[in-house]
Amino acid sequence: MTVNGQPHTFAPGLTLLGLLRTLSVDPARVAVAVNDDFYPGARIPDRELTERDVIEIVRITGGG
Amino acid sequence: MPHPDALTIAGQTFTSRLMVGTGKYADLHVMRDAIDASGAQIVTVAIRRVELGAPGHDGLLDALDLDRLQLLPNTAGCRTPDEAVRVAKLARALTGVNWLKLEVIPDPRWLLPDPVGTLRAAEMLVGEGFTVLPYIQPDGVLARALERAGCATVMPLASPIGSGRGLRARELVKTVIDDATVPVVVDAGLGVPSDAAQALELGADAVLVNTALAEARDPVGMARAFRLGVEAGRAAYLAGRMPARDGASASSPTAGVPRLPDPEVPA
Repeated sequence: MTVNGQPHTFAPGLTLLGLLRTLSVDPARVAVAVNDDFYPGARIPDRELTERDVIEIVRITGGG
Repeated sequence: MPHPDALTIAGQTFTSRLMVGTGKYADLHVMRDAIDASGAQIVTVAIRRVELGAPGHDGLLDALDLDRLQLLPNTAGCRTPDEAVRVAKLARALTGVNWLKLEVIPDPRWLLPDPVGTLRAAEMLVGEGFTVLPYIQPDGVLARALERAGCATVMPLASPIGSGRGLRARELVKTVIDDATVPVVVDAGLGVPSDAAQALELGADAVLVNTALAEARDPVGMARAFRLGVEAGRAAYLAGRMPARDGASASSPTAGVPRLPDPEVPA
């Protein structure tokens, strides 16, 4: 699987919330895309992932 | 009582005609104080990947008074329409806001927007329900096409992003303003309040600045100065400037000047 542009080790049974926990990411402050599905932090589902999934985890930062 | 000269974008009204970015500030306290001093009601933010292994966040949202401010996420860094659409959807998921400053910029050297890609992305994003404010080169033909596509504003550049060189594209910006049916927001390149005043005097509906504030020696003082510059420019636009002339035109009466006899000067 790919997480934020980098290859990431996949383990069968891994869920989206489980991945965030593994990465020490607080869901409250991020949004996540799994392929073409987009989730606000507060509504990230605990869906099962596959080894082909492309995952993007983003936050707000300063910009103009 | 409604403000007599409010700015309306996509049905929302604003009393300030100055929009500000949140990038490049030394710290969040200075950024927040600068935003307060600017009087801005619309602030831009960027969307970036979380750095894995570095939990937490930079606290930007906590530093912004979201009861008072309209967030305007941008697609800065996107090189293609598809990247911009994807970032837009992430931005909407992240903020709950469907306003978007659309940037499609393939070349980081000059940071000049891709007109074809911007139009294509705008069409897709309007179709997805976004309120799209596209950053463009000052091109009246493109601006009309973006209006027809349903964009809420057009945002022509004054000069390259972050250059602080002022309203170098003045004549071209004027061609965008003259035929626009949506608000025109001059964005990028403004360095000092007189640049902003010139844009408003020209008829721009608003301006957006970031670097000019964040890189000022005193960002809060500069934010206050830009607020005044925008107010002065708008007031001047509404008052209507005098016609420019090639030659001089005396302000005092030319007849009846007390004179001494001088044989070398005609009476």
